[in-house]
Amino acid sequence: MLQFDPVRLPKGAEVLRHEVRDFLAANVDRIGTPNSDFSSGHDAEFSARLGQRGWIGMTWPKAYGGAERSFFERYVVTEELLAAGAPVSAHWIADRQSGPLLLGNGSEGQCARYLPAIAQGRSFFSIGMSEPGTGSDLASVRTAAKRVPGGWRVSGTKLWTTGAHLNHYMIALVRTAPPDGNRHAGLSQLIIDLAAPGVAIRPIRNMAGGEDFNEVVFDDVFVADADVVGEPGNGWSQVTSELGYERSGPERFLSAFRVYVEFVRLLGLDPGRFEAAAVGRIAAHLMTLRRMSMSVAGMLENGKAPNVEAALVKELGNNFEKLLPEIARAAMPINGDQERFRRTYAETLLLSPSFTLRGGTREILRGVIARGLGLR
Amino acid sequence: MERMLVDAAERIFRDQCSKATLDAAEEGHFPVQLWQLLCESGFQLMAQPDSGAELADVFAVLRVAGRFAAPLPLAEALLANRWLGGADEDGVPDALNTVGIVAQNAGRHWRAVPWGRAARRIVGVAADGGVFAGSPLAVVEATNLAGEPRDQVEVRDVRPIHSAEPAHALLALARAAQSAGALDRVLELGVGYAQEREQFGRPIARFQAVQHMLAMVAAEVAAAGRAADAAIAAVGSERFAFEVAVAKSRVGEAVGLVAEAVHQVHGAMGFTYEHQLHHFTRRLWAWRDEYGGEAHWQALLGRRLCALGADQVWDFLATSS
Repeated sequence: MLQFDPVRLPKGAEVLRHEVRDFLAANVDRIGTPNSDFSSGHDAEFSARLGQRGWIGMTWPKAYGGAERSFFERYVVTEELLAAGAPVSAHWIADRQSGPLLLGNGSEGQCARYLPAIAQGRSFFSIGMSEPGTGSDLASVRTAAKRVPGGWRVSGTKLWTTGAHLNHYMIALVRTAPPDGNRHAGLSQLIIDLAAPGVAIRPIRNMAGGEDFNEVVFDDVFVADADVVGEPGNGWSQVTSELGYERSGPERFLSAFRVYVEFVRLLGLDPGRFEAAAVGRIAAHLMTLRRMSMSVAGMLENGKAPNVEAALVKELGNNFEKLLPEIARAAMPINGDQERFRRTYAETLLLSPSFTLRGGTREILRGVIARGLGLR
Repeated sequence: MERMLVDAAERIFRDQCSKATLDAAEEGHFPVQLWQLLCESGFQLMAQPDSGAELADVFAVLRVAGRFAAPLPLAEALLANRWLGGADEDGVPDALNTVGIVAQNAGRHWRAVPWGRAARRIVGVAADGGVFAGSPLAVVEATNLAGEPRDQVEVRDVRPIHSAEPAHALLALARAAQSAGALDRVLELGVGYAQEREQFGRPIARFQAVQHMLAMVAAEVAAAGRAADAAIAAVGSERFAFEVAVAKSRVGEAVGLVAEAVHQVHGAMGFTYEHQLHHFTRRLWAWRDEYGGEAHWQALLGRRLCALGADQVWDFLATSS
């Protein structure tokens, strides 16, 4: 059965936690209305300030601008930023996903070229996986790259690309060779400059009124050989291991956290038993998820690949992110100043359908867990 | 230490907790052989302050007992022996002591006494934290919905026990720990049955609807187990009652979902008395209500968080590890 061993944060992590809180207090002007959803606040200036503090790319080698700190220290920084509702989406993908992908699979030249700017909070990345005909069935991507002297020419369309209109690069999964019977073969990951000629970015308005995701069309866009991540054709195994990093962090259960804070504020210091029980129920979920998520951070720190455990944390965490506003709403008292709670609740509820879609749908994750159980 | 104790306990439970023994216990037959083996290995005294074991180890053993639905009041016996202090006054080493609920301080009618009918002495725990010792005078037999004896006992020679320990929270943790073990077992039973049972020419594990139910079950079981283990690790700490609240709440929520889904996976077979599944699911349903259901513990935790104030909530949540 699945094992989630306890971890104890190292002593330095608590010192760091208070440094982050002091930083947040000093930069409260950049936070505005707090929102704990990692994808809801794109603020390049805020990311640059984090970079100055050394809180992006924290676990990376110093040679590439990192701080060589532990996964646990990174965990503390990210959870503090999310809990405070800070605008972290500009650097989030580059820090969580693109950087580790380059460190694991990229060339030395790529690491030297891209990682220091990411760590400084000046270079932002998008994920290029989904397409109009490709959602959960990721191996069906049709965006293709043709061989040309010195590199590749890319044509096709990527969809739901968060931040493409603001970010600098996309790491796209594209077909560089025909499948030849094995549909996982012939896929590669390319670093594409989103300002390159032939790239067209169109915003897609979401149901909450936001325009942070996009359609990105590539029309014969040139990508140099130096910007192929890993070996051409190795994209599938790279992209699936990348997903492990993506799935178990605190952003998978804290998206709705500010609703909880406003709920507690609305209830006041001495609530009735029913309302207090709602507060306690949410806390029980949250503390447990946090421990499980930290267990996975411990596995990553020990060099393991906890794909099933990460999928399980995401499954539980995303369900909880949807349950939290529901518990709070149903327990809402009739008295009190409800304005702040209602605003935060409505904003989160309107974003909540995305919680169990992004980063792998609930249905895909349950499939991953079922495989881990030996059912398929 | 913990690993050795847990392994030793597991060997005994694995050998002794057969379906037949569970059935017999439900008919009212105390599992004498199981209790004697546990006593021979010294388990009945492991919660004594001088036993060499940590109190947390006791709960690790109870987690294993839950995994095998060990049909005896082990948690109660161990904790009662701890609170009664030292060896039995009458020098009977294998005497069974147990724990009951005192409705009102110093009342003589204690209820929900596990195996009160077989007990030599009883510790009564009051909701306000009072702890008392008494000896059974008259017993009215009763059971919980799992068929486990939960007797009403009239006691004599009642005297207060001056213990600084949070008796009620420790008993609640015992149920959370037992439940975590039983949940592990129920998941195993569900996965095993889905792999064996064939319909439409293939194991039902091959159907996505079944896979997704069991994936959800695995997630709930993992969460419940993590919550119970965290509370076990918090025994003796300042935040112990709140960690028990987390465990009792999270385990209780998991129980409903897990029992429902695993019964669905087992079909009519799991609805029979002949199948062992009900020995686990009925215990889970009973245990989640004993020593405070979810709402009791959630309200305790929620009041604390509200009293801290909205802007301190995160700090409380983040200082748990």
